[in-house]
Amino acid sequence: MSRGTKIPRYRYLTDEQCRLLHEGTCGLLEQVGIDVAHQGAARLLLDAGANERAGRVCIPRHMVDAAIAGTAKRIELAAKDPESTVVLDPDNGPLVHFGTGGQALTVLEYVAGAFDKRPARTEDLAAILRLCENLEHVDFITRPVEPDVAEHEMDLVKTRVFMENTTRHMNLANLVRVENLPAILDMVGDRGRVSFISCLLVSPLHMVDETTEKFMRIVEAGVPVAVSSCCQAGTTAPLSETGAIMQVNAEVLSAIVLGNMVRPGAKLLHRGLPITADLYGDGSPRWCQPDSIRRLACMADLTCYYGIPCCGTAGVSDEPVPSAQTIAEKALGITAELAAGAQFVNSALGLLDRIMTVCPEQYVIDNTIISLAKKHLTAGNRYDLVECAESVVRDSLAAFGAPFDDDDAVETAARAAYVVSAREDISSKSIDTQIETIGKAVCTGQSSTAFMRAARKGLRAGLLYNGSRLESAIDLERLHGAYEMHRNQRSDVCAE
Amino acid sequence: MDKEQYLEEIKRNVVLGHADKEDEGFDGDMEGTPGVSELVQEALDNGVEAKLILERMSSGMETVGGKFESGEYLIPDMLAAAECVGAATEILEPHLLKEGVERKGRFVMATVEGDLHDIGKNIVITMLKGDGYEVRDLGVGVDAADIVTAVKESGAQYLGLSALLTTTMVHMKDVLDLLEKEGLRDKVKVLIGGAPTSEEFAKKIGADAHCRDAFEAVHVLRDFSAKAA
Repeated sequence: MSRGTKIPRYRYLTDEQCRLLHEGTCGLLEQVGIDVAHQGAARLLLDAGANERAGRVCIPRHMVDAAIAGTAKRIELAAKDPESTVVLDPDNGPLVHFGTGGQALTVLEYVAGAFDKRPARTEDLAAILRLCENLEHVDFITRPVEPDVAEHEMDLVKTRVFMENTTRHMNLANLVRVENLPAILDMVGDRGRVSFISCLLVSPLHMVDETTEKFMRIVEAGVPVAVSSCCQAGTTAPLSETGAIMQVNAEVLSAIVLGNMVRPGAKLLHRGLPITADLYGDGSPRWCQPDSIRRLACMADLTCYYGIPCCGTAGVSDEPVPSAQTIAEKALGITAELAAGAQFVNSALGLLDRIMTVCPEQYVIDNTIISLAKKHLTAGNRYDLVECAESVVRDSLAAFGAPFDDDDAVETAARAAYVVSAREDISSKSIDTQIETIGKAVCTGQSSTAFMRAARKGLRAGLLYNGSRLESAIDLERLHGAYEMHRNQRSDVCAE
Repeated sequence: MDKEQYLEEIKRNVVLGHADKEDEGFDGDMEGTPGVSELVQEALDNGVEAKLILERMSSGMETVGGKFESGEYLIPDMLAAAECVGAATEILEPHLLKEGVERKGRFVMATVEGDLHDIGKNIVITMLKGDGYEVRDLGVGVDAADIVTAVKESGAQYLGLSALLTTTMVHMKDVLDLLEKEGLRDKVKVLIGGAPTSEEFAKKIGADAHCRDAFEAVHVLRDFSAKAA
């Protein structure tokens, strides 16, 4: 039995658009290629038929298509509690699962009616995992914060804290030191209970050395791993939705090609995050604005088109503390990703401040948001995504005592409408333009400035949403009370 | 075009961030028309003094700064304008030398050891070039020894260090310690920046300034120059 929720998929892209995006992705990999820093990985790819051009590894289409065909399509992620097994099977269902995530550096603590920020510690990791045991809509755990121990101890301390505090599937996220992998697997026992995330790609189109080594060892061990690439469209990828999706997809697929050469039929999740950069401000990532939400959903759609298990991301608020705006951002993001059919949606609970901060109370809010998103999307045989998203925002705010006035309704409707509206034509011509832009940028050595210069026109054409904030106050006492109630439930569930 | 027309056209193109014929400029419709690089070359060929061109480009950048502060321009607009000036200054370089005009100063820039992030570093470099500094970019993941060697070789008056990770920002202190050991610390002003850094951290490791962003870096350098004058 698998956890997860079956939702009729909302299609952000047509099959024809997916086909064109795939063509463009293959064009990028063939013509521009990947800068592969890991010599062993480069050799593997070249020996299998890739070409070296100007120091870059250009991967022909037949290698990409073979990897897509050969990679594992169904991945079962076990858990200590058999009821918490997660089955990722995009062609059958798919079931959507939500989990935690992030590598937050700080924790918000509720003290005397306000939130104080402090560095995250090992005991926070344990406390979050125990809290999540009591949250119905947490289907799996991705590491929310790292233990505050010496680097060489982090892997094993993290694994121990997971083993002692969760009955859900354990996605440890990063492997800090490759030599610790055997000890982690020994400690876990059943390898099916653990998985990783590997960020071996850095945009634009660069495969790093050390993380690639870790990725190859994890794949070799037969352990599932999400291949992650996260651009900031406008600074490390084109601002264009088409260009950013193609580039991030090319990055992830290059690792899927590599992974299937290391171990045919490798258990790999596609985790492409083509989010935007805040070109209205300081260039920071925009995780939860309508433009990024739409792009994440489109990427989930494309991944489903391939039939590759999808590790999505939703609900990372850009806000620093729990607020009405935080709830509105997360409610829209979670609803959109749930409808997209991403099967393993991590970072969906607790995260604030662009993944830099977690807040225990926020986990409770996000659990409620997920519950409401499921309720509204499964209320009938069909749904209107914009109306559902508006309802999830409104009901989530009401659950935590935040008023929702006419201005909030207008802003929420505008945000939801943005998420379902295409702003660019996807055509062979636009795809060729994006390949040219990316190719020029990676050849300059100053790709960020090249992408920013090229972003000016798109910026004026509305490729970054520009709206207003929801300013109403939430009832912090009620929120803290709800948190305390969940925290104090079933605290002995993890005892062996 | 006469001298004044060249200078005004160069300034107009700086303000519109139109680098060259291939660039689409502020509104995306300037591709195919001469940009700053072509105009500067043409002006030089027609006897316009490099010093005057540099001054008019600076005036253009002041206009751009005003538009940015008022919200009319966004970061990419500011950056595009700075890139125009940076590229044009390289064309002007030999002519400025002949005319005896010196650059504002020499600046070495690097992302520290273990850190591969380059966005912030590249923005700072573009802005500083646009403001008239000679900048040597050492790239990303650069260790302390290579940074200090570059400072020594170039005789730079300024060093910029960037880091985006809490685990790598500690290497900034390694650079400062090595500068001290090599007897270079009082010869170079050290500016640091990057998401996890702060003014407190700059003070703690003994850096001369913490810059929140590229614009602050430009202002900090202007302050240093004003104090030195």
